[in-house]
Amino acid sequence: MVLKTLADLKNIVAGGPKKKLVLATAQDQQSLSAVVRAWKDNIIEPILIGDKESIQNICAANNYDISGLRIIHESGVEMAVEMAVKMVNNNEGDILMKGKVGSSTLLKCILNKEWGLRTGNLLSHFALFEVDTYPKVIAVTDVAMNIAPNLRDKIAIINNSVNCLIRLGYTMPKVAVLGAVEMVNENMGATLDAALLSKMNQRDQIKNCIIDGPLAFDNAVSLESAKHKGIRSEVAGDTDLLLMPDIEVGNVLYKSLVFFAKAKVASVILGARVPIVLTSRSDSEQAKYDSILLSAAASK
Amino acid sequence: MVDKVLALKKKHTIAVAWAQDINTVGAIGKAVNDGFVSAIMIGKSGEIKNVCSKKGIDHTKFRIIDIDDEAEAAAEAVKLAKNGTADIVMKGLVGTDKFLKAVMEKESGLMTPGAVLSYVCAVEVPSYHKLLFITDPAVIPFPDLDQKVAMANYAVEMATKFGIEKPVVALIGASEKPSRHFQYSVDYPEMCRMSEKGLIKNCIMDGPLDLFLACDKESVEIKGVNTPVGGNADILLFPSLESCNPFYKSLMLFAQGELAGLIRGTEKPVIVMSRSESEKSKYYCIALACLMT
Repeated sequence: MVLKTLADLKNIVAGGPKKKLVLATAQDQQSLSAVVRAWKDNIIEPILIGDKESIQNICAANNYDISGLRIIHESGVEMAVEMAVKMVNNNEGDILMKGKVGSSTLLKCILNKEWGLRTGNLLSHFALFEVDTYPKVIAVTDVAMNIAPNLRDKIAIINNSVNCLIRLGYTMPKVAVLGAVEMVNENMGATLDAALLSKMNQRDQIKNCIIDGPLAFDNAVSLESAKHKGIRSEVAGDTDLLLMPDIEVGNVLYKSLVFFAKAKVASVILGARVPIVLTSRSDSEQAKYDSILLSAAASK
Repeated sequence: MVDKVLALKKKHTIAVAWAQDINTVGAIGKAVNDGFVSAIMIGKSGEIKNVCSKKGIDHTKFRIIDIDDEAEAAAEAVKLAKNGTADIVMKGLVGTDKFLKAVMEKESGLMTPGAVLSYVCAVEVPSYHKLLFITDPAVIPFPDLDQKVAMANYAVEMATKFGIEKPVVALIGASEKPSRHFQYSVDYPEMCRMSEKGLIKNCIMDGPLDLFLACDKESVEIKGVNTPVGGNADILLFPSLESCNPFYKSLMLFAQGELAGLIRGTEKPVIVMSRSESEKSKYYCIALACLMT
């Protein structure tokens, strides 16, 4: 199975057990809007942690009916985050979501050695894009978390992403390792890593997916381009997951898809005990809602 | 752009290396018909004539030079530009490496002495309110400060030719905050200072900026970042080929972009396009080269 649109995520989670979503510092209008919608759609069971009065005021002002919703009052931002993380650590939550708090504060708590959510895996950002001009959803990693991943990090990022895709119903997703060119070039480290990752995949050192790279962006997403260049590849033109060489490239591509190609996007942080919804202020409410769907589908 | 070229009321001569390529012949044929170029087609004359008849183009409209070797055809095209017979050189079916070798040849080539070789494209994309000039998607993998300055100057020069008086240049990074993780954090503020002091002329420059702050006014308002670029960039300068190349390809493949690009740093305009590029893109490149001569 592959996802054609982000709306397909709803079919994956529909009818399943409702996932407990813990919203850390919940006094945030955009997050509340998305969370309440997902709750009404019977996808999640939210637990709101934060300043109760602010939360109630925001909901009243925007006509969000939250009667029956569990709210835990904690007016301190850092205390609210800590409480949220501890709840998840204590198996009382299936998804953690960021509310009105800086990403760095949340990450610090997630990485806490005693009561954080580390598993020994690298944390990585995973995004799904729906673009009118590509026949299916395309996953892109890592556009937001790891700045300059080395080979070992890239393997971890691929594993996080492939495990997530498998949970979404994929079998043997096709992974394109992006380069500026499709040839291995000794002056461009990303192309060397790409070649190594491909070979490690052939030797079963990276499993459950088909990896090819380096592939330039056009070869990765267009069979016609690949054919023109005479590239023989199982992945070219049929990519499910696109691995970025670093955040500099990933950030540009992510923003290009959203702004210029009008892509819909859903994203999640992988590699912790549970999926983490960590969207930014500039994400639309729809993106926040779709990210909750994705996290619900990705959670065990 | 084509209107601007027609308004020049000037005919440029273009030498095409290894010309027996259907999209190239189509593009040249259209430019000749539109009256702004005359063409010298270099390659296997039999094949060139064949391609012409396939496209329904009268081959007598072109001057054809019969050469049956790829590298020699490239050298001949460069020679014609060097001795003044041609104003523009264009790559046909010849491999990019062989073609550029002829262009970069020390004695016989077309390099401006001491100049940085780089690439600038003009992109039209429906989701942006004006043309975007981007650099460098094709030539310099990791430009240093001097190379970035040259790239900025080339892009400003091109935008100016399009009638943009003081183009707005966004120096693109992963975020607007300089960080020790990124080399551009050192180079970009330096470039902004150079621009303020008039060492990079005729533009408004700021960076690092992410793509949203460069091109989306709404993001600038939401984030409250004070920048003269303000979501209204004409030129996007990228820190590396690695980021610029997938960016421009995403515009072409996912955002219905149309592009025209040129090599800069040569004495005369040199058109290098991927063999897989469409006839339309090649036609735009020819028009762009005429505008830049």
